[in-house]
Amino acid sequence: MSQPNDELRARLRERLLEQALGEVLGGETPPDLSDKILAAAERLETVSTQRKEPVMEKSRRSRRFWAFSAAAACLVCAVGVAVFQQTRSAREDRQVARQSAAEMRRSPKLRGPSSMRSEEAEPGAAAAPWAEPPAVGLDRDPRGELAATADSSADGRALTLGERYSRAEQARQTFGNFPGQPTLRGAETSTPGAAPTGRGPGMGGDRYDRLVETPFRAVKDNPLSTFSIDVDTASYANVRRFLLQEGRLPPPDAVRIEELINYFDYDYSGPTDDVPFAAHIEVAGCPWQPEHRLVRIGLKGREIENQQRPRSNLVFLLDVSGSMDSPDKLPLLKQGMKMLAEQLGENDCVAIVVYASAEGLVLPSTSGQQRQKIIDALERLQAGGSTNGGAGIELAYRIAQDNFIQGGVNRVLLCTDGDFNVGTTSTGSLERIVEEKAKSGIFLSVLGFGRGNLNDAMMETISNKGNGNYAYIDGVTEAQKVLVEQIGGTLVTIAKDVKIQIEFNPAQVAAYRLIGYENRMLAAEDFNDDKKDAGEIGAGHTVTALYETVPAGGKVDLPAVDPLKYQAQAAPGGNQAASNELLTLKLRYKEPEEDSSKLLEFPLVDGKAPFGRASADFQFASAVASFGMLLRGSEHKGSGSYQAVLEIAESAKGADKHGYRAEFVEIVRRAEALAE
Amino acid sequence: MKAAMADRQADLAGLVRAHQAGVWRYLRFLGCRPDEADDLAQETFLAVIRDGFEQRSAAETASYLRAVARNRLLMARRKQRSSPPLVDLEAAEAVWARVAGADGLGDYLVALEECLQAAVNPRVRRALELQYRQRLGRAEIAAELEMAAEGVKTLLRRARSALRDCVERKLGR
Repeated sequence: MSQPNDELRARLRERLLEQALGEVLGGETPPDLSDKILAAAERLETVSTQRKEPVMEKSRRSRRFWAFSAAAACLVCAVGVAVFQQTRSAREDRQVARQSAAEMRRSPKLRGPSSMRSEEAEPGAAAAPWAEPPAVGLDRDPRGELAATADSSADGRALTLGERYSRAEQARQTFGNFPGQPTLRGAETSTPGAAPTGRGPGMGGDRYDRLVETPFRAVKDNPLSTFSIDVDTASYANVRRFLLQEGRLPPPDAVRIEELINYFDYDYSGPTDDVPFAAHIEVAGCPWQPEHRLVRIGLKGREIENQQRPRSNLVFLLDVSGSMDSPDKLPLLKQGMKMLAEQLGENDCVAIVVYASAEGLVLPSTSGQQRQKIIDALERLQAGGSTNGGAGIELAYRIAQDNFIQGGVNRVLLCTDGDFNVGTTSTGSLERIVEEKAKSGIFLSVLGFGRGNLNDAMMETISNKGNGNYAYIDGVTEAQKVLVEQIGGTLVTIAKDVKIQIEFNPAQVAAYRLIGYENRMLAAEDFNDDKKDAGEIGAGHTVTALYETVPAGGKVDLPAVDPLKYQAQAAPGGNQAASNELLTLKLRYKEPEEDSSKLLEFPLVDGKAPFGRASADFQFASAVASFGMLLRGSEHKGSGSYQAVLEIAESAKGADKHGYRAEFVEIVRRAEALAE
Repeated sequence: MKAAMADRQADLAGLVRAHQAGVWRYLRFLGCRPDEADDLAQETFLAVIRDGFEQRSAAETASYLRAVARNRLLMARRKQRSSPPLVDLEAAEAVWARVAGADGLGDYLVALEECLQAAVNPRVRRALELQYRQRLGRAEIAAELEMAAEGVKTLLRRARSALRDCVERKLGR
C-alpha cells in the first residue's frame, strides 16, 4: 500500500471517530425513518397488487407506461417529459396521471424527495419509484421545482404537458439554476400563474424560499416605500439553531433580517390614547456606511396583562406523525403546550386535535381551569403510526367555529415540523381555507419544530394568510418566550393588516433602502387598498424596521433612467418640500374585527445625531441588521464585520432582562468563528 | 395471499429497522448533510424494496444497501452544483466496511462509549464533551479548563487517537 493511501485511510478513520463522537456526545443520532419508508413501500405494494402481474413482470411496455405516468404526475424532470411526450398523446398521459392520482389519494404519508411539488405531484410520488430509470422520478431537480411552482394557470385549470414543459423552460431561462433555492417570494411575484403556492405537503428537507435583497431606490423616481409589518421571529430561532446546535452557518435564504431584528424587545413606550400602537422614529449615522443615515421605525402594540386577556377559544392542532418522533419535536411540543396550558384560566378554553392518528379529536373544548385534564391529554400523545390522511385542519377549524366567542380570541395553533400532510389538501387549497377562516374571525398561529424537513416557506405563508404569527421553537427557552412571556402577543391580535408607507422628501434624501422585509413589500397603491392583506400586531409586540438612506447630494450609484419624452419633468414641489422634514411615516391598520382601515401620520426631522449618540435600542437593532447582512453575504454590508457587530451589541445590551441580547453576542461569536 | 403480503410487510419492517441507522450514518460519513441523508436513506430503501430483495446475511445486506446509497448519492450530486464535498468514495467504503462493520456503526458506538469511560481521564472527557456536546471552540474550551489554547489542541488530538486505538482494539478491526 502506498503512503498517500494510508494517510487517506487514517483521515477517514479519524472522520469516523469524529462522527461517532458527534453521535455519542453531541446527540447527532440518525432519525427514525421507518414509518415513512414503510408507508411508501406499502403504496408500492398496493399499486402492484392492483396492477397485478404486468407490473411485477416489469415488461418493457409497462415500465414505459409507468415511467410516463410518473413523469407526468411528478413534473420533476421537464426533459424527461419532453422525451416521452413523443411516444404518447398528451390526452392519454393526462388520463394516466389522473388515474394514478385517484388511486393514491387515500394513501398514507410519504415524505418524498423535495422535487415533488404540486397537488398532482404528491399522489404521483407513489408511482415515481416505478419509473425507469428510477432516478428520473426521485432525484432533486431545482429546475423542476421552479416549474412546479407554476403548475396551474391563472384560471385554475390544469396545464397540459406541453404548457408545463414550456413553463419549465421559461422558468429555467428566467431564473437560471438555483440549487436548493427554488422560488421567488410570493409578494414580489406579480404574475398570477407564477405565484408560488409554497411546497406541497409531504416533501423532504428544510425548505426556504429565495430572498432577493431590496436595492437602493432613488427618491426622485420612487418617493414612496410601502410594506407590510412582520412580527415573526422564526428566522432568528432557526439561525440560532444552525449556529449553536449544528455548528454551521445558515443558508442565506434562511436569514430574514426583519425577523432577526424583531426577535428582540425594544423599550418603546406603548400608546397612551386609544390607538392600538405607538410609533417611535429615530435617525442617526449608519454604522456600516458612515456617509449614510439610518432611520428606525419602531411600533409598540398595546400591552395586555395575562389576566386581562379577552376570552379565548383555542384549538391546538398538533402533528403527531412519525416524523415528529424526535426529542426536539414531540416532547418539546408537549412541554411547550403544557407551559401554555399553565397560563390559561377560566376565560379560556382549549381543544386538542391531532392529525396522523385514527381519532382526530383528543380533547373536546375544555375550560382552562381544568388544567390537569388538558395536561393529561397532552401527556398521552404519542408520535407514530400510519397517517390516516387528514381532515385534521378542517376538524380544528370546525371545533373553533363550534366554540366561537364573539369579541374574543378565536385561534388555531398549528404545531408541526411542516412535514405536513393534510390529506388531499394541497398547500394552495390549504392557504385558501386558512385565509377564508381568518376572514370569519378564526386566526391561525404556527409553531415550527425540529430540523430535517422544516417547511419554513409554507409555514410562513400560511401563518400570514391566517392573520397569525409564526415562531420556531428550538428549545424550552424559546417555548418560554413565545408561550409564556409573550402569550399576549402570541394569542391576542390588537390590529390587523398593518401597513407602513414612507414618503421621502427629495430635498433631504437622495436614495433609500429598506433592510429586510423582502417578502413584505407592497405596491404604493396597496397602502390605501383595504382588500390587500398585511401583517398583524399582537398585544405588547414591538416591530422595528430600518431604512438606510443616502442624504441629498450624496453619491448614489444607481442606473439612471433615460429622460422621459412625453412627461412633464416633475420637480420637487408642494409646500412641504422646502421644509427640513426627512420623511413622513404613514400607518394603516384595522381593528381586529373591522374591515376598514384607519390612518396615522408622523413626520420626521433629522436631528443629525451621530451613531454614537443614538439610543441603545437603535444601536442594538442596527448591530442585528448588520449581522443579518453578513450572514446573507449582502452586497450592502459595507464596512460591517462580526467584530463591529460584537462591539456595538456588547455596548448596547442595556438591561437585557431575559438575556436574549447576551445570547445574541454568543451567536455572533460563533458565526465569526465559523466564518473564518 | 394476505398472509404472504403480511410476511413481506414484516420482512420489510425488519430490513428497515435493522439497517436504516447504518445507511443514514454511512451517507453522513460520505459527506451528506443531515437532511440530505434523510432523503437519500429513504430513497435507498425504496429502491431496494422496489427491485425486490431477499434476506441474506446482515453483512451482505448492509453492503448491498451501501452500494445503492452510494449510487443514489452520486445521482443526486450530479444534479446539484453547490453541495458539500464528498470524501473519496472508494477509500471511504473500504474503511467503513472494515471499521464500522455490518451493523452500521452500532458496535463501534457501544465500544466508543466504553472507551470514553475507560481510556480517557475525566479532564479529557470534559474537554471532549465541551467540544462535541457544547460545541465550544478551542479558545472557549481552553478558558473553561484554564489552559492554553494550543494545549487544548494537543489534548484533543491525543484523546481522539487514544479513543480510536481503544475502539478498534475492542472491535478487533
